[in-house]
Amino acid sequence: MTSTTSTPLAGTDRLRPSATSAGRTSRRRMRKDLLRSRIAAWTAIVVIGAFGMLPVYWLLATALSSPEQTFQFPPKLIPTDITFSNFTALAENDQLITYLVNSLIVASITAVLSVVVATYMGYSFSKFRYRGRRSLMHMVLASQMFPQALLLVTLYAVFSSFGLLNTYTALVLSFTTFTMPLCVWMLKGIFDTIPDALLEAASIDGASRWRTLHSIVAPLAAPGMIAAGLFAFVRGWNDFIFAVTLADKEKQTLPPGLVSTYIGEFQTAWPELMAASLVVSAPVVVAFMFLQRYLVGGMTAGSVKS
Amino acid sequence: MTTSGITRRGALRMFGIGALGVAGAGALGACAPSGAGTSSGGDTKSKNFDFTSWSLNEEAAKPSIEKIIAAWEKAEGSKIRAVSYPYNEYLSQLTLKLGGGETTGAVHLDIAWLAAVAQMGKLADLGSVALKGGYTNVALDSGMYDGKQYGLPWNTGSIGVIANSSLLEKAGIKKHPTTVEEFEGALRELKGLGGGVVPYAAATKVAQLKDIFPWMQTFGCTLLEDSKVTIGDDASIDAVTWYKKLHDEKLIAADVDRFDARALFGQGKAAFYDDAIIGKGVTAAQSKDKTLADAMRPMKRPVLRAGDTPQALLWGGVIAIVKGKGQDAATEFALHTTTDRATTTEYFAARALPPSTTAGLSDPKVAQDTFTTEWTEKITDTATGSPFWQFAQNAQIEEAVAKQVQAVLVGTSKPKDAMKKAAEEVNDLIKR
Amino acid sequence: MSTAAPPQKAAPRRERSGGRLSNGAFALLLTAPGLALFAAIIIYPLLSALFTGFFKQDLRLPGREFVGLENFSYWLDGEFLTILKQTLIFTFGATLVPFVVGFALALALNSGLKGSGFLRGLFLFPWVIPGVVVSFLWMWIFNANYGVLNGVLMKAGIIEESISWLGQPGTAMLAVIVTKTWASFPWMMVMLLAGLQTVPKELHEAASMDGAGSIRRFFAVTWPQVRGVASIVLLLEFIWNFQHFDTIYVLTGGGPAGTTETFATAVYQTAFKGFDIGRATALGGLWMVLLLILVAVYLRITERKGDAR
Repeated sequence: MTSTTSTPLAGTDRLRPSATSAGRTSRRRMRKDLLRSRIAAWTAIVVIGAFGMLPVYWLLATALSSPEQTFQFPPKLIPTDITFSNFTALAENDQLITYLVNSLIVASITAVLSVVVATYMGYSFSKFRYRGRRSLMHMVLASQMFPQALLLVTLYAVFSSFGLLNTYTALVLSFTTFTMPLCVWMLKGIFDTIPDALLEAASIDGASRWRTLHSIVAPLAAPGMIAAGLFAFVRGWNDFIFAVTLADKEKQTLPPGLVSTYIGEFQTAWPELMAASLVVSAPVVVAFMFLQRYLVGGMTAGSVKS
Repeated sequence: MTTSGITRRGALRMFGIGALGVAGAGALGACAPSGAGTSSGGDTKSKNFDFTSWSLNEEAAKPSIEKIIAAWEKAEGSKIRAVSYPYNEYLSQLTLKLGGGETTGAVHLDIAWLAAVAQMGKLADLGSVALKGGYTNVALDSGMYDGKQYGLPWNTGSIGVIANSSLLEKAGIKKHPTTVEEFEGALRELKGLGGGVVPYAAATKVAQLKDIFPWMQTFGCTLLEDSKVTIGDDASIDAVTWYKKLHDEKLIAADVDRFDARALFGQGKAAFYDDAIIGKGVTAAQSKDKTLADAMRPMKRPVLRAGDTPQALLWGGVIAIVKGKGQDAATEFALHTTTDRATTTEYFAARALPPSTTAGLSDPKVAQDTFTTEWTEKITDTATGSPFWQFAQNAQIEEAVAKQVQAVLVGTSKPKDAMKKAAEEVNDLIKR
Repeated sequence: MSTAAPPQKAAPRRERSGGRLSNGAFALLLTAPGLALFAAIIIYPLLSALFTGFFKQDLRLPGREFVGLENFSYWLDGEFLTILKQTLIFTFGATLVPFVVGFALALALNSGLKGSGFLRGLFLFPWVIPGVVVSFLWMWIFNANYGVLNGVLMKAGIIEESISWLGQPGTAMLAVIVTKTWASFPWMMVMLLAGLQTVPKELHEAASMDGAGSIRRFFAVTWPQVRGVASIVLLLEFIWNFQHFDTIYVLTGGGPAGTTETFATAVYQTAFKGFDIGRATALGGLWMVLLLILVAVYLRITERKGDAR
């Protein structure tokens, strides 16, 4: 499912020292080295694995316990009376489906829009030289450092005056404030790796600049564009403050939706919250397991090779 | 080697140029957001309207409110659009949207927020409507601001101390402590039970540290007198010093908010905690001990000297009406929801929220609930609203004080300095 | 760092003028949609917000009053330095810790273990759970009174009494950083792993044969190859953490006693809980000025060195 991208067998080859290796001593040495690095690797995986996975386990365990069990102390590390009621309750809450669908739609459109716009901008930054280019690039990156709350007040007023509140448009545009700079930056890096000679060749063959971009450069940069899109997707998928302010129930995305459903005035419904989070995250997790190679290939294309 | 074509140095530089560009353009920036909305008109006679309430999304509350809405829609042949925000973001979201003219119709408000919202000048005066409701006086008061009736009271209760009588028995405490001294003694007895008991699950997180106000009042601080803050006086310092003492002796625990307090109480690990009347149902539901509900008793807050009036904070919800679109129908709906006897009784049965009308309270189903009647008698009867509610900055005031109290609890500040600082901050907030 | 930067294209490539536009115009045309969007949704809101910093303005009420620098001095005389310090602690902590964790994991997964592709996918899980949920999950784990962390530590006999992780100044910041680390290390790991996989194994073998130990091999062979990716992930994470909001807001709300307050939470709380947009935007403005000063100093240094870029 997940073949590695660049040099697929980097590791496994090391199991059999190549024939050119000199001498027995060095072979023994390498074997000892290998053993040591194996032990180190497994230690790292176990320790970090515990850090990474135990909370996920706890999320699952909580999702499977009843409310009475939830608040026990000391907590039961392995839930005894397992209940699926928190999951079955989800089926009855169709509002959650609305949130999930909204999230998927908004995050996807955001990703596509950001990538499209950023492709042109990144290409321009990468392959042309003109006055103000550098300042523009810098502004794009710097814009990611300012607090969203600062933008929010004005964005709210602007969207309000255009009647855009509670629309996907408002959410997409607001998410674009942080996804677009990221994509521009990533894609510029990717275009930098496409040799100028290729463009010259296309030009000599008589391709117009648009054609060069669309039929020659874009396909080459496609893995990078997918990677940028995935990053934009996750950033949009995660947003809380823009979503809570700019949309109501009908257009609300998951983060504020989950909070308003389970973190209430009088109680926090931990088990239900955990069950719901698990269910709604699952499709994205699975999708990412398949798509991760793009993440890797696209994102590092520009930085590793020089 | 390049890093996506932009080197680290280059990247650092771009922050600067970006910021420069932005700052330079800032000089030209005479373009400010307009803030104020436009739509205060609209069809006041429209049958359809919006109803904004945080409860409309919360799993626990949603079904019973949806029922009320559905019944109204059916009877009137109208459409109610339900709007909700998470409770913790509710006031800021509502404020923003009311200011932008997005919010219309009926609006559910915590009584602590009424002033902040009423000051925006968008709420209708419901004085004449309220007369038709048969509300109790204390309930009507909770919907008033600046002499005008902006809210129809939906539920009126109070926040007071709940005791676990079986735990008290176990510690050999025969009757509820009535003075602070007795209370402290009881807490020590309870601590003696061992087993990680937190005798009093008092709020220690900023979110609910406003629970300390009734204690400050118990110690004799009025909080506010003739629009002058009295926090910082000896009584308030005594109260905080006392709180700190309880904290240091582990008679109260750190990092506790209302949710934590309920969890502790539900596990039988806390003998006292502060909650609104609705807390009983919530706490009992999440407890394994099915006898807990019966062991829960409302308790008069201990007083400094025998004979003082026990302090309690008024608590409840009102429905306010935004001037403009759908105003009339929304008003009718609010009146119906808060006064129709069958509706309030059913709502009480579902959520244990006491009604706000005399008739509603005397309904046998409500009157026969001993916890509720006992609560009203022991706690609500002497409950008062916070003097800070009249200020729009109420939330900030509460937070400013809470932060200072917390600083004392965690040991970064002394009670006297902290209260002096709190007073300065609150004074500053009130003046703004 | 910039040893092999792309060659400077001194002259615009006039020869490729297939269309009617000049190259410069074409390049600008390409940026037009982005710039329009950028101006509308980032620059304009930012400027208008900064301008508001000079006014006393209530989020709830129309109208405002010019107060000059009063809002700025409110912060400078008050919490500015504290917030700055805390923001920096959080930003550095939440950037470096996940980097180290992610790098260690990437190295481990790169050592040729079976199933590392699957593991890599599995480790992405924390990254894809919505950020707010991550924060609630950890809030639940760190809870002083019924949290699982205290439960486990007590069972193991490491602690005797519950620790109020989120309720004490020191541990609260730690908890926030741990939470952010959990959410961030996966993507850093994926990126670094990709970088590692481009390191030719022959280089390692050669170095090994020359008698280089694993630590020396790391610095001599591995590090130079992944330095590029490493600086990208560090820079991005740094930028994001600088304005990160959710984790802190949910876990501690900036508390206890304001000890985890950062620029992002302070701006939000002031604007949306205190309705004081004047002060909120003034803090944002100070933040910008600060960055400006840092960069001005930086530019001076680099320019003196005769950097032409």
